[in-house]
Amino acid sequence: MTQYKKTELVLNKVFDAKLSRHLIEGSTVVLHCHHYATLYTQLAIDCALLDAKSLLAECSEEVWEGFLSNYYKTNGIASLADRITIGEQVYAAAGLGKMCVICAGTDSGEVVLEHSHVDEGWIKKWGKSDKPVNLIGAGFIAALFAAVFGKPQRSFSVIEVQSIVSGAACSRFSVVAR
Amino acid sequence: MNINRKQVISAMSQIEVQGNKDGLIPSFNVFVNMMPASFWTSFAERLTRRVPADMLDAAEFLLVNAAHECGYHTGYGIITSNEWKAVVEPMVKKTPEDILHGAFAVFTAWGWAKSEIVELDPGKKMVVRAYDYYEADVVEYGASAKKSAYMIRGVAAAFMDLAYGGTYDPTGKTGLRTFKCEQTKGIECGDEYGEFVVTKA
Repeated sequence: MTQYKKTELVLNKVFDAKLSRHLIEGSTVVLHCHHYATLYTQLAIDCALLDAKSLLAECSEEVWEGFLSNYYKTNGIASLADRITIGEQVYAAAGLGKMCVICAGTDSGEVVLEHSHVDEGWIKKWGKSDKPVNLIGAGFIAALFAAVFGKPQRSFSVIEVQSIVSGAACSRFSVVAR
Repeated sequence: MNINRKQVISAMSQIEVQGNKDGLIPSFNVFVNMMPASFWTSFAERLTRRVPADMLDAAEFLLVNAAHECGYHTGYGIITSNEWKAVVEPMVKKTPEDILHGAFAVFTAWGWAKSEIVELDPGKKMVVRAYDYYEADVVEYGASAKKSAYMIRGVAAAFMDLAYGGTYDPTGKTGLRTFKCEQTKGIECGDEYGEFVVTKA
Protein backbone atom coordinates (compact mmCIF):
# COMPACT_ATOMS: atom_id res chain seq x y z
CA MET A 1 0.00 0.00 0.00
CA THR A 2 1.34 3.43 -0.91
CA GLN A 3 1.71 5.73 2.05
CA TYR A 4 1.76 9.49 1.63
CA LYS A 5 4.11 11.21 4.04
CA LYS A 6 2.87 14.64 4.97
CA THR A 7 5.46 17.33 4.37
CA GLU A 8 6.14 19.27 7.54
CA LEU A 9 6.65 23.00 7.53
CA VAL A 10 9.98 23.99 9.08
CA LEU A 11 10.42 27.73 9.45
CA ASN A 12 13.81 29.34 9.83
CA LYS A 13 13.24 31.87 12.63
CA VAL A 14 15.86 34.39 13.68
CA PHE A 15 15.87 37.37 16.05
CA ASP A 16 18.22 40.07 14.79
CA ALA A 17 19.27 41.60 18.11
CA LYS A 18 21.06 44.51 16.46
CA LEU A 19 17.94 45.75 14.68
CA SER A 20 15.46 44.12 17.07
CA ARG A 21 13.63 42.42 14.25
CA HIS A 22 12.17 38.96 13.93
CA LEU A 23 12.87 37.26 10.63
CA ILE A 24 11.22 34.16 9.24
CA GLU A 25 12.71 32.77 6.05
CA GLY A 26 14.50 36.11 5.70
CA SER A 27 11.33 38.24 5.88
CA THR A 28 10.68 40.70 8.70
CA VAL A 29 7.57 39.49 10.53
CA VAL A 30 5.58 41.12 13.29
CA LEU A 31 3.01 40.03 15.79
CA HIS A 32 -0.25 41.91 15.78
CA CYS A 33 -3.69 41.12 17.15
CA HIS A 34 -7.24 40.69 15.91
CA HIS A 35 -8.01 44.31 16.80
CA TYR A 36 -5.37 45.43 14.32
CA ALA A 37 -6.42 42.98 11.60
CA THR A 38 -10.13 43.74 11.91
CA LEU A 39 -9.64 47.51 12.05
CA TYR A 40 -7.49 47.41 8.90
CA THR A 41 -10.22 45.31 7.31
CA GLN A 42 -12.93 47.73 8.43
CA LEU A 43 -10.90 50.60 7.00
CA ALA A 44 -10.57 48.77 3.69
CA ILE A 45 -14.32 48.08 3.59
CA ASP A 46 -15.19 51.69 4.42
CA CYS A 47 -12.82 53.17 1.86
CA ALA A 48 -14.88 52.14 -1.17
CA LEU A 49 -13.76 55.24 -3.04
CA LEU A 50 -10.33 53.68 -3.55
CA ASP A 51 -11.52 50.08 -3.76
CA ALA A 52 -9.45 49.45 -0.65
CA LYS A 53 -10.98 45.97 -0.25
CA SER A 54 -9.10 44.92 -3.37
CA LEU A 55 -6.04 46.78 -2.16
CA LEU A 56 -5.95 44.88 1.14
CA ALA A 57 -6.44 41.53 -0.59
CA GLU A 58 -3.75 42.39 -3.14
CA CYS A 59 -1.26 43.34 -0.43
CA SER A 60 -1.93 40.00 1.25
CA GLU A 61 -1.55 38.16 -2.06
CA GLU A 62 1.75 39.86 -2.82
CA VAL A 63 3.48 39.15 0.48
CA TRP A 64 2.24 35.58 0.74
CA GLU A 65 2.97 34.68 -2.88
CA GLY A 66 6.52 35.88 -2.36
CA PHE A 67 6.81 34.00 0.92
CA LEU A 68 5.40 30.73 -0.39
CA SER A 69 7.27 30.75 -3.70
CA ASN A 70 10.51 31.44 -1.85
CA TYR A 71 9.81 28.62 0.60
CA TYR A 72 9.03 26.13 -2.19
CA LYS A 73 12.19 27.08 -4.07
CA THR A 74 14.49 27.09 -1.04
CA ASN A 75 13.20 23.78 0.27
CA GLY A 76 12.68 21.99 -3.04
CA ILE A 77 8.93 21.58 -2.56
CA ALA A 78 7.81 20.50 -6.01
CA SER A 79 4.65 18.37 -5.91
CA LEU A 80 1.21 19.98 -5.86
CA ALA A 81 0.20 18.03 -2.77
CA ASP A 82 3.29 19.09 -0.85
CA ARG A 83 2.93 22.71 -1.92
CA ILE A 84 -0.69 22.77 -0.80
CA THR A 85 -0.02 21.15 2.55
CA ILE A 86 2.82 23.59 3.21
CA GLY A 87 0.49 26.48 2.31
CA GLU A 88 -2.12 25.23 4.76
CA GLN A 89 0.53 24.97 7.46
CA VAL A 90 1.87 28.45 6.76
CA TYR A 91 -1.66 29.83 7.13
CA ALA A 92 -1.98 28.14 10.53
CA ALA A 93 1.53 29.12 11.65
CA ALA A 94 0.64 32.75 10.97
CA GLY A 95 -2.36 32.35 13.27
CA LEU A 96 -4.73 33.04 10.39
CA GLY A 97 -6.80 29.89 10.84
CA LYS A 98 -7.30 26.31 9.76
CA MET A 99 -7.35 26.02 5.99
CA CYS A 100 -8.25 23.01 3.87
CA VAL A 101 -7.86 23.10 0.09
CA ILE A 102 -10.71 20.92 -1.17
CA CYS A 103 -9.60 20.94 -4.80
CA ALA A 104 -7.22 22.92 -6.96
CA GLY A 105 -6.46 23.24 -10.64
CA THR A 106 -5.10 25.88 -12.97
CA ASP A 107 -8.67 26.93 -13.81
CA SER A 108 -10.45 26.72 -10.49
CA GLY A 109 -10.52 25.49 -6.94
CA GLU A 110 -12.34 25.39 -3.63
CA VAL A 111 -10.99 26.23 -0.20
CA VAL A 112 -12.58 25.88 3.22
CA LEU A 113 -11.60 27.53 6.49
CA GLU A 114 -12.67 25.66 9.58
CA HIS A 115 -11.32 28.50 11.70
CA SER A 116 -10.50 32.05 10.72
CA HIS A 117 -8.52 34.71 12.63
CA VAL A 118 -10.28 37.58 10.89
CA ASP A 119 -13.80 36.16 11.19
CA GLU A 120 -13.47 35.02 14.78
CA GLY A 121 -11.64 38.21 15.73
CA TRP A 122 -14.38 40.26 14.06
CA ILE A 123 -17.09 38.40 15.97
CA LYS A 124 -15.14 38.85 19.22
CA LYS A 125 -14.81 42.58 18.58
CA TRP A 126 -18.09 43.54 16.93
CA GLY A 127 -20.31 40.49 16.54
CA LYS A 128 -21.52 38.92 13.31
CA SER A 129 -21.47 40.55 9.90
CA ASP A 130 -23.82 39.79 7.01
CA LYS A 131 -20.98 40.44 4.54
CA PRO A 132 -17.64 38.61 4.16
CA VAL A 133 -14.70 40.28 5.89
CA ASN A 134 -11.78 37.93 5.31
CA LEU A 135 -9.94 39.93 2.66
CA ILE A 136 -6.59 38.87 4.11
CA GLY A 137 -7.60 35.22 3.70
CA ALA A 138 -8.82 35.76 0.15
CA GLY A 139 -5.46 37.33 -0.71
CA PHE A 140 -3.63 34.41 0.86
CA ILE A 141 -5.64 31.91 -1.20
CA ALA A 142 -4.91 33.80 -4.44
CA ALA A 143 -1.23 33.73 -3.45
CA LEU A 144 -1.33 30.04 -2.64
CA PHE A 145 -2.84 29.11 -6.02
CA ALA A 146 -0.36 31.32 -7.87
CA ALA A 147 2.60 29.88 -5.95
CA VAL A 148 1.42 26.27 -6.20
CA PHE A 149 0.99 26.45 -9.98
CA GLY A 150 3.94 28.77 -10.62
CA LYS A 151 1.68 31.52 -12.00
CA PRO A 152 2.14 35.27 -11.60
CA GLN A 153 0.24 37.24 -8.99
CA ARG A 154 -3.34 38.21 -9.97
CA SER A 155 -3.75 34.95 -11.90
CA PHE A 156 -6.70 33.91 -9.74
CA SER A 157 -9.75 35.68 -8.41
CA VAL A 158 -11.08 34.49 -5.07
CA ILE A 159 -14.68 34.91 -3.94
CA GLU A 160 -15.82 34.19 -0.41
CA VAL A 161 -19.16 32.42 -0.81
CA GLN A 162 -19.82 31.42 2.80
CA SER A 163 -18.49 33.00 5.99
CA ILE A 164 -17.91 32.12 9.62
CA VAL A 165 -18.50 35.79 10.43
CA SER A 166 -22.07 35.45 9.09
CA GLY A 167 -22.80 32.42 11.23
CA ALA A 168 -21.71 29.57 8.93
CA ALA A 169 -19.83 26.63 10.43
CA CYS A 170 -16.96 27.24 8.04
CA SER A 171 -15.87 29.79 5.47
CA ARG A 172 -15.82 28.70 1.85
CA PHE A 173 -13.95 30.29 -1.04
CA SER A 174 -14.35 29.77 -4.77
CA VAL A 175 -11.21 30.24 -6.86
CA VAL A 176 -11.33 30.99 -10.60
CA ALA A 177 -8.55 31.73 -13.08
CA ARG A 178 -8.70 35.29 -14.39
CA MET B 1 14.17 53.77 35.68
CA ASN B 2 14.68 50.34 37.20
CA ILE B 3 14.12 48.22 34.13
CA ASN B 4 17.07 46.28 32.74
CA ARG B 5 16.18 46.71 29.07
CA LYS B 6 18.86 44.38 27.80
CA GLN B 7 17.63 41.59 30.05
CA VAL B 8 13.97 42.14 29.14
CA ILE B 9 14.69 42.26 25.42
CA SER B 10 16.82 39.15 25.58
CA ALA B 11 14.17 37.16 27.46
CA MET B 12 11.03 38.46 25.76
CA SER B 13 12.44 38.16 22.23
CA GLN B 14 12.70 34.41 22.74
CA ILE B 15 9.01 33.88 23.47
CA GLU B 16 7.53 31.53 20.90
CA VAL B 17 3.94 32.11 19.86
CA GLN B 18 2.53 29.08 18.15
CA GLY B 19 -0.75 28.33 16.48
CA ASN B 20 -3.06 25.82 18.17
CA LYS B 21 -4.80 22.92 16.41
CA ASP B 22 -7.30 25.43 14.98
CA GLY B 23 -4.57 27.55 13.41
CA LEU B 24 -5.26 30.35 15.87
CA ILE B 25 -2.95 31.97 18.42
CA PRO B 26 -5.03 32.93 21.44
CA SER B 27 -2.55 34.78 23.64
CA PHE B 28 -2.36 37.91 25.80
CA ASN B 29 -6.19 38.21 25.83
CA VAL B 30 -6.35 38.53 22.04
CA PHE B 31 -6.00 36.45 18.88
CA VAL B 32 -2.44 37.05 17.72
CA ASN B 33 -1.32 36.92 14.08
CA MET B 34 2.20 36.78 12.70
CA MET B 35 2.44 38.31 9.25
CA PRO B 36 5.26 39.67 7.11
CA ALA B 37 5.60 43.32 8.14
CA SER B 38 5.45 44.44 4.53
CA PHE B 39 1.79 43.42 4.38
CA TRP B 40 0.83 46.11 6.88
CA THR B 41 3.14 48.78 5.46
CA SER B 42 2.13 48.11 1.84
CA PHE B 43 -1.52 48.67 2.63
CA ALA B 44 -0.94 51.75 4.78
CA GLU B 45 1.47 53.35 2.34
CA ARG B 46 -0.58 52.73 -0.79
CA LEU B 47 -3.77 53.88 0.90
CA THR B 48 -2.27 57.11 2.21
CA ARG B 49 -0.62 57.85 -1.14
CA ARG B 50 -3.86 57.27 -3.06
CA VAL B 51 -6.40 59.15 -0.95
CA PRO B 52 -7.34 62.67 -2.04
CA ALA B 53 -5.46 65.31 -0.03
CA ASP B 54 -8.57 66.30 1.91
CA MET B 55 -8.99 62.72 3.14
CA LEU B 56 -5.40 62.05 4.17
CA ASP B 57 -5.90 63.08 7.80
CA ALA B 58 -8.91 60.76 8.13
CA ALA B 59 -7.04 57.81 6.59
CA GLU B 60 -4.04 58.40 8.84
CA PHE B 61 -6.28 58.70 11.89
CA LEU B 62 -7.85 55.32 11.14
CA LEU B 63 -4.46 53.64 10.63
CA VAL B 64 -3.20 55.09 13.92
CA ASN B 65 -6.45 54.10 15.61
CA ALA B 66 -6.02 50.47 14.54
CA ALA B 67 -2.69 50.42 16.36
CA HIS B 68 -4.09 52.42 19.27
CA GLU B 69 -6.76 49.80 19.96
CA CYS B 70 -4.30 46.97 19.30
CA GLY B 71 -1.76 48.52 21.67
CA TYR B 72 -4.35 49.12 24.37
CA HIS B 73 -5.78 45.61 24.43
CA THR B 74 -2.65 43.63 23.59
CA GLY B 75 -0.58 45.92 25.82
CA TYR B 76 -2.85 45.12 28.73
CA GLY B 77 -2.58 41.43 27.88
CA ILE B 78 1.20 41.70 27.90
CA ILE B 79 1.54 43.51 31.24
CA THR B 80 -0.76 40.99 32.93
CA SER B 81 0.80 37.91 31.32
CA ASN B 82 2.81 35.22 33.05
CA GLU B 83 5.80 36.10 30.88
CA TRP B 84 5.67 39.70 32.10
CA LYS B 85 5.27 38.58 35.70
CA ALA B 86 8.33 36.34 35.39
CA VAL B 87 10.63 38.72 33.54
CA VAL B 88 9.63 42.36 34.01
CA GLU B 89 7.55 42.59 37.16
CA PRO B 90 10.44 41.81 39.55
CA MET B 91 12.22 44.91 38.19
CA VAL B 92 9.25 47.23 38.67
CA LYS B 93 9.82 49.50 41.66
CA LYS B 94 7.94 52.61 40.61
CA THR B 95 4.53 52.36 38.97
CA PRO B 96 3.40 53.12 36.41
CA GLU B 97 6.65 54.62 35.10
CA ASP B 98 8.69 51.40 35.27
CA ILE B 99 5.82 49.54 33.64
CA LEU B 100 5.97 51.99 30.74
CA HIS B 101 9.71 51.54 30.35
CA GLY B 102 9.23 47.78 30.52
CA ALA B 103 6.48 47.95 27.91
CA PHE B 104 8.83 49.67 25.46
CA ALA B 105 11.47 47.04 26.11
CA VAL B 106 8.88 44.42 25.18
CA PHE B 107 7.86 46.56 22.19
CA THR B 108 11.48 46.29 21.09
CA ALA B 109 11.75 42.58 21.86
CA TRP B 110 8.72 41.78 19.73
CA GLY B 111 10.16 43.55 16.72
CA TRP B 112 7.69 46.41 16.52
CA ALA B 113 10.40 49.07 16.89
CA LYS B 114 13.81 49.37 18.50
CA SER B 115 12.58 52.06 20.81
CA GLU B 116 12.91 53.65 24.22
CA ILE B 117 11.42 56.45 26.28
CA VAL B 118 13.74 59.45 26.31
CA GLU B 119 11.49 61.83 28.25
CA LEU B 120 8.62 61.19 30.62
CA ASP B 121 6.54 63.77 32.45
CA PRO B 122 4.24 61.45 34.43
CA GLY B 123 0.63 61.70 33.40
CA LYS B 124 1.33 64.47 30.91
CA LYS B 125 3.91 63.79 28.24
CA MET B 126 6.18 61.08 26.89
CA VAL B 127 8.79 61.25 24.14
CA VAL B 128 9.85 58.00 22.48
CA ARG B 129 12.68 57.45 20.05
CA ALA B 130 12.81 54.55 17.63
CA TYR B 131 16.20 53.74 16.11
CA ASP B 132 14.89 51.07 13.75
CA TYR B 133 11.31 50.24 12.84
CA TYR B 134 9.71 48.29 10.03
CA GLU B 135 7.38 51.12 9.05
CA ALA B 136 10.43 53.07 7.84
CA ASP B 137 11.07 50.36 5.22
CA VAL B 138 8.55 52.02 2.88
CA VAL B 139 11.34 54.36 1.79
CA GLU B 140 14.36 52.58 0.31
CA TYR B 141 15.90 55.59 -1.38
CA GLY B 142 15.80 59.25 -0.48
CA ALA B 143 13.57 60.87 2.11
CA SER B 144 9.81 61.10 2.26
CA ALA B 145 7.90 64.25 3.18
CA LYS B 146 5.21 62.06 4.72
CA LYS B 147 5.77 60.32 8.06
CA SER B 148 4.67 56.70 7.98
CA ALA B 149 4.98 55.25 11.49
CA TYR B 150 1.24 54.94 12.14
CA MET B 151 1.64 51.80 14.21
CA ILE B 152 4.18 53.32 16.62
CA ARG B 153 2.01 56.43 17.03
CA GLY B 154 -1.00 54.34 18.00
CA VAL B 155 0.78 51.96 20.33
CA ALA B 156 2.74 54.74 22.10
CA ALA B 157 -0.50 56.59 22.85
CA ALA B 158 -2.11 53.34 23.99
CA PHE B 159 0.69 52.65 26.45
CA MET B 160 0.13 56.08 28.01
CA ASP B 161 -3.61 55.28 28.19
CA LEU B 162 -2.77 52.12 30.10
CA ALA B 163 -0.39 53.97 32.42
CA TYR B 164 -2.41 57.09 33.16
CA GLY B 165 -5.86 56.72 31.58
CA GLY B 166 -7.55 54.92 34.44
CA THR B 167 -8.61 51.33 34.91
CA TYR B 168 -8.34 49.12 31.84
CA ASP B 169 -11.67 48.88 30.06
CA PRO B 170 -12.04 45.79 27.85
CA THR B 171 -14.80 47.51 25.88
CA GLY B 172 -12.48 50.43 25.10
CA LYS B 173 -15.23 52.91 25.93
CA THR B 174 -13.23 54.51 28.73
CA GLY B 175 -9.48 54.63 29.19
CA LEU B 176 -8.76 54.43 25.48
CA ARG B 177 -7.79 57.59 23.54
CA THR B 178 -7.03 59.68 26.62
CA PHE B 179 -3.65 60.38 24.95
CA LYS B 180 -2.62 61.17 21.39
CA CYS B 181 0.71 60.86 19.64
CA GLU B 182 2.44 62.96 17.03
CA GLN B 183 5.40 61.75 15.01
CA THR B 184 7.97 64.56 14.89
CA LYS B 185 10.85 62.75 13.17
CA GLY B 186 11.15 59.71 10.94
CA ILE B 187 13.88 57.51 9.52
CA GLU B 188 11.72 57.36 6.37
CA CYS B 189 12.00 61.16 6.26
CA GLY B 190 15.78 61.16 6.42
CA ASP B 191 16.13 61.61 10.18
CA GLU B 192 18.50 59.49 12.25
CA TYR B 193 15.63 58.11 14.29
CA GLY B 194 11.89 58.32 14.61
CA GLU B 195 10.56 60.52 17.39
CA PHE B 196 7.10 60.36 18.90
CA VAL B 197 5.55 62.84 21.29
CA VAL B 198 2.59 61.64 23.35
CA THR B 199 0.40 64.18 25.13
CA LYS B 200 -3.06 64.35 26.67
CA ALA B 201 -5.83 64.10 24.10
